[in-house]
Amino acid sequence: MRLKRAESEPVSILVIAEHLRGQIRPITLELVSAAKDLGEPAVVAVIAKDPASLADQVDVEGVSEIVAVKVDEEEFENDVYRQAVEQLVSDRSPDIVLVGFTINAMGFAPGLAAKLELGFASDVFALRRDGDDLVAERAFYGSKVNAEIEFPGHERVLLMIRPTSWPPAEGDGAAVEAELDVTVLGSHARHLEFQEAATSDVDITTADFLLSVGRGVGEKENLSQFEVLAERMGATLSVSRPLVDQGWMPSARQVGQSGKTVKPKVYLALGISGAVQHLAGMKTSGTIIAVNTDPEAAIFNVAHYGAVADLFEVAEELDKLF
Amino acid sequence: MKIVVCVKQVAVLGDEVEFTEDERDVDPDYLDFALNEWDTYATEEALRLVEAAGSGEVVVVSVGDEDAEDAMRRCLAMGADRGIRVEAEGWLDPIQVARALAEVVGSESPDLVFAGVQSSDSVQAATGGALAGLLDLPSVAVVTKIELADGKATVHRELEGGLVDVVEVDTPALLTIQTGINEPRYATLRAIKQAEEKEIDVRKPGELGEPSYRVRKMFVPPKGEGAEMLDGGAAEVAQRIKEIVQERLA
Amino acid sequence: MARDPKYDILFEPIQIGPKTMKNRFYQIPHCNGFGSEKPLNQAYFRAMKAEGGYAAVCTEYCSIHPESDDTHRVSARLWDDDDIKNLGLMCDMLHEHGALAAAELWYGGPHAPCMETRCVPRAPSQIPSDFEHLTYPKEMDKDDIREVQGFYVDAAKRAREAGFDIVYVYGSHSYLPQQFLTPYYNRRTDEYGGSFENRARFWRETIEQVKDAVGDDCAIAVRMSTDMFMGEAGTQLERDCLPFVELVDDMVDVWDINVSGISEWGEDATPSRFYPSGRLLPWQKAVKGVSKKPVLGVGRFTSPDLMVEAINDGALDIIATCRPSISDPWLPRKIDEGRLDDIRECIGCNICISRWEIGGPPLICTQNATAGEEYRRGWHPEKFEKAANADNDVLIVGAGPAGMECARVLGERGMRRVHLVEGQDDMGGIMRWIPQLPGLGEWARVVNYRKIQTDKLKNVEFIPNTQLDADGVKNYGAEIVIVATGGYWATDGLNGCTHDTIPGADASQPWCLTPEQIMAEGKAVPGDKVLIVDNDGYFTGVSLAEKLAEEGKQVTLMTHLGHIAPYMHFTLEAPNMHRKLHKLKVEIVTYNIPTEIAEGKVTSAHVYDEEHLTEWGVDSVVLVTQRRSNEALYRELKDSVGIDALEGEGITGFYRIGDCVAPRLVADCIFDGHRIAREIDSENPEIPLPFKRERHVIEREAVLA
Repeated sequence: MRLKRAESEPVSILVIAEHLRGQIRPITLELVSAAKDLGEPAVVAVIAKDPASLADQVDVEGVSEIVAVKVDEEEFENDVYRQAVEQLVSDRSPDIVLVGFTINAMGFAPGLAAKLELGFASDVFALRRDGDDLVAERAFYGSKVNAEIEFPGHERVLLMIRPTSWPPAEGDGAAVEAELDVTVLGSHARHLEFQEAATSDVDITTADFLLSVGRGVGEKENLSQFEVLAERMGATLSVSRPLVDQGWMPSARQVGQSGKTVKPKVYLALGISGAVQHLAGMKTSGTIIAVNTDPEAAIFNVAHYGAVADLFEVAEELDKLF
Repeated sequence: MKIVVCVKQVAVLGDEVEFTEDERDVDPDYLDFALNEWDTYATEEALRLVEAAGSGEVVVVSVGDEDAEDAMRRCLAMGADRGIRVEAEGWLDPIQVARALAEVVGSESPDLVFAGVQSSDSVQAATGGALAGLLDLPSVAVVTKIELADGKATVHRELEGGLVDVVEVDTPALLTIQTGINEPRYATLRAIKQAEEKEIDVRKPGELGEPSYRVRKMFVPPKGEGAEMLDGGAAEVAQRIKEIVQERLA
Repeated sequence: MARDPKYDILFEPIQIGPKTMKNRFYQIPHCNGFGSEKPLNQAYFRAMKAEGGYAAVCTEYCSIHPESDDTHRVSARLWDDDDIKNLGLMCDMLHEHGALAAAELWYGGPHAPCMETRCVPRAPSQIPSDFEHLTYPKEMDKDDIREVQGFYVDAAKRAREAGFDIVYVYGSHSYLPQQFLTPYYNRRTDEYGGSFENRARFWRETIEQVKDAVGDDCAIAVRMSTDMFMGEAGTQLERDCLPFVELVDDMVDVWDINVSGISEWGEDATPSRFYPSGRLLPWQKAVKGVSKKPVLGVGRFTSPDLMVEAINDGALDIIATCRPSISDPWLPRKIDEGRLDDIRECIGCNICISRWEIGGPPLICTQNATAGEEYRRGWHPEKFEKAANADNDVLIVGAGPAGMECARVLGERGMRRVHLVEGQDDMGGIMRWIPQLPGLGEWARVVNYRKIQTDKLKNVEFIPNTQLDADGVKNYGAEIVIVATGGYWATDGLNGCTHDTIPGADASQPWCLTPEQIMAEGKAVPGDKVLIVDNDGYFTGVSLAEKLAEEGKQVTLMTHLGHIAPYMHFTLEAPNMHRKLHKLKVEIVTYNIPTEIAEGKVTSAHVYDEEHLTEWGVDSVVLVTQRRSNEALYRELKDSVGIDALEGEGITGFYRIGDCVAPRLVADCIFDGHRIAREIDSENPEIPLPFKRERHVIEREAVLA
């Protein structure tokens, strides 16, 4: 049952929902999980032209309240979110504000944290309580080391959370509905339209999803199968050095120490054993999935998921699924 | 046309690491330094816009000690006109850096302020945004294209998944610049030598305020257990891969 | 950095007979052109590998007697006490680094033409050598057999005295002991021929006698070819080799296992063009299956993962290398220190081997310019002295092999700043497209290694997509300018046969092309019938023939020489190349030079009969006639701008290197870049400093007195 709250109560954790083209983005639900881990329910604020239409998508387990913040703008705009969140914070006095470490949030969160003198950290992938203290974990020095950080002297903290650090919260929620009227005094950075990115020259360093093949493909003729599969899966095809040396692929597609260093969200390596020079070029990728017939292949040391299987068989099956 | 570009000398850690005695930072002996990769793109973009405008200047500003001037000189060698270093020692978080920069940047009354989307060492992606907030400037983050007009600019904001958000932003504005927006020019040895001779203006920082966080302990991440192996035949493996991919990309 | 624990097995010691190897890395016997008569060159060359971590290092084939004289090819020799002194130095220097020394005792039989000693070699049967067709052996009677076995024993004793820890009774590559074992060479009807036992007798007895003589002090090694790929006539694995292993296993301390005979030993020293690393593993594994003793062998191993796999798989106990030890004598150390990306991998071009095949010159290596220069120029592959003029900025124009190597070494020598500027979007120059020819993928390691190394050097900056003209160079701001702009294939048919252009040859026409137009520029080869004019003599013509034939063209390959690609005989690539071209139905025309080229038609003359003309109907012509230097930039700077004007801009050194001086082998371009960098602080870097020559210098008065 949903009730409408009359007055606004202080909350512990305020989650700012993120959405695009009418869909709540999964990071939002991941933030709810993060809140749950801290032992608190999340109050989720939906800032949109029609927040009600999005409310269902965030009504999951772990959400105690959904605050609808109606604004004029259909899609994300910096100043709109900055001002709306500022007013949300003022209204609800959260201890912790959670946003995703996303391109949208990069637009408004740091500026807001600076202006309001909040505790602040970005790209946080772990959280815990140490007594009364909040302790977060993030990486430093090009992701080579991690550190636990704390926020002494800050009553209020804004954290930007690394996507996929928590699983998205699910299940049925029974969140209370609320509304907050905000005043937005002009948006200086206005959304005009969306465009699909031009894919003229291949730039594997900016792809979110790389399908990477290596010596395992065997013959040059076999490459086309993977080119097709990559397209089907929405991936960009990249290769390890030997395929470039043979002239089968241009060096623009080469991942490795003498090629390009990539850090996509997903790196799917088929038939790549994981030579040191190759690993150097991709080992900080978000999620690495490796398929190789050799259970001792070095790539399994850096992969998050692995399968000892024949790459052609797996490729055939993937082709059916996408 | 005046564009201020905020640049950072980043630390580069090799494959070996030792920590300081209090374990809150890396032993500086293990660090190399370089100009932040994003800042070469930002500097290049500023140079192009000023060149297109026919006249103006590109001013690079950085926060740090004397060693940080090395990074700035790379920008001067590329063609930036002036450099200002805001004096600071030790570790500052991005909001403190923004506070250090705010007065100097503001006093330049620039038409545009650029910062890199993020720095390669801390990857906080916050300094630019924080500075915009303190200066109350319109801002757009993760910019991959800029077209200037009178009093405003049309920029491309690169979203996850390759989608582009076309945004109209009022100027003066602060934009954080993404890699790949252009091809940064290289500096000849002559330009590098000349940049060495250039005087860099040193200023005192503004109020740094309280740090927004404090490192408790720094450590090498424990080696994972290795890959989670997926069971089953090709069909099962493919199914799991599909699930993982879709989950990660959503 | 630490060693990856999965490579620990490579660093486990192993016992061979009375000796212990401190790890599993073994430099197999291989030639270097130094022998016993350039003992300092020899010792420094071998010691570098011991310094680099090799636990055992061998001589090249080491002649036991003047009857085994391979002149013009250079072998080591242990004929007398003075040879003991000379080779002893090698043993001492190896021991200093904790490595064992091995002598590959060799008697060649008819394969050794004795052109210096003028002796007559002996052999089981009197058949001329299939390698040296004019050399006949004396057919051995029992006295000859005893005598020659005595040569082995005496040589083994000399080896022991010199300090060698391991002595071989070497048969591989169709040398004497294996000649007895093999029907192709042994048609005897006495107890040394016929049945397996008989054919094995000579070798078995020799091993026994050598072991009796030195076996307590030295490990006994036997190098055997397990299969000569000659069917029943040659040595065969099951029929001859495995039984032989079982027969003498008790006496042998370590087996050195390979394949092939002498006439096609490229099946053993496999070019990367035809074979991947580890080609010999199946045969090595077969031997390990029947032997109780350690087995070692080569396979062009550069990857520590493959090495570990070979041991874990039960194929080898000891990893032997020849060519990878030449390209990087510090391979073991780099694995030990976890510096895998510093390993300079062998590319399998066999340029090193080609020098031995030519007979006489010292070895060279494409990847390692310091190979063979350890003594005579004092170059250490891993150590660089800071340049006396390090306080200078260097501009290198062109990032091909010469430019890349020059930048790397100048970087290592601490030059203040090195800018390596390249017009294309990436490093490599000519080595960007050569590795794209069929089978040459591994050659790209030349570029990959240098890319990684220059990237690590903080004082070296690589600047692509920048074409500098004379003004750009003059105003760049460098104190030292090195032009490395490479070369190009002649577009007008200029060739070394007629010393003239070919009338009608014009690569600006769509139907007339040069190699880089095809490979680097993507110019289409029109039509079906292609005629390749190859006056070059090395691989470019035949590789293009292979590539175009594979793409479905009808290819005619024409050369003015008597053989196509004669240099490939020296690199051991010729037999399989011929097989390939034959299979692809490439028409090979020799002794012909085009007299006229026109669209649709080529007319050629026989080089020994100018009136003998032939007409060829063709759709396109590829000119592989000769190369030219890309001199334009250098000439403009030197002639138009002038040295004085350059000095006025602060340029105190102005040099050029590589193909833009004179087209040459990639190995020589890399050498050129390396040398000028090593000598950048000499008085005139353009002129190579004199190198030490090991020679006999007489005291004239003393001689005349």
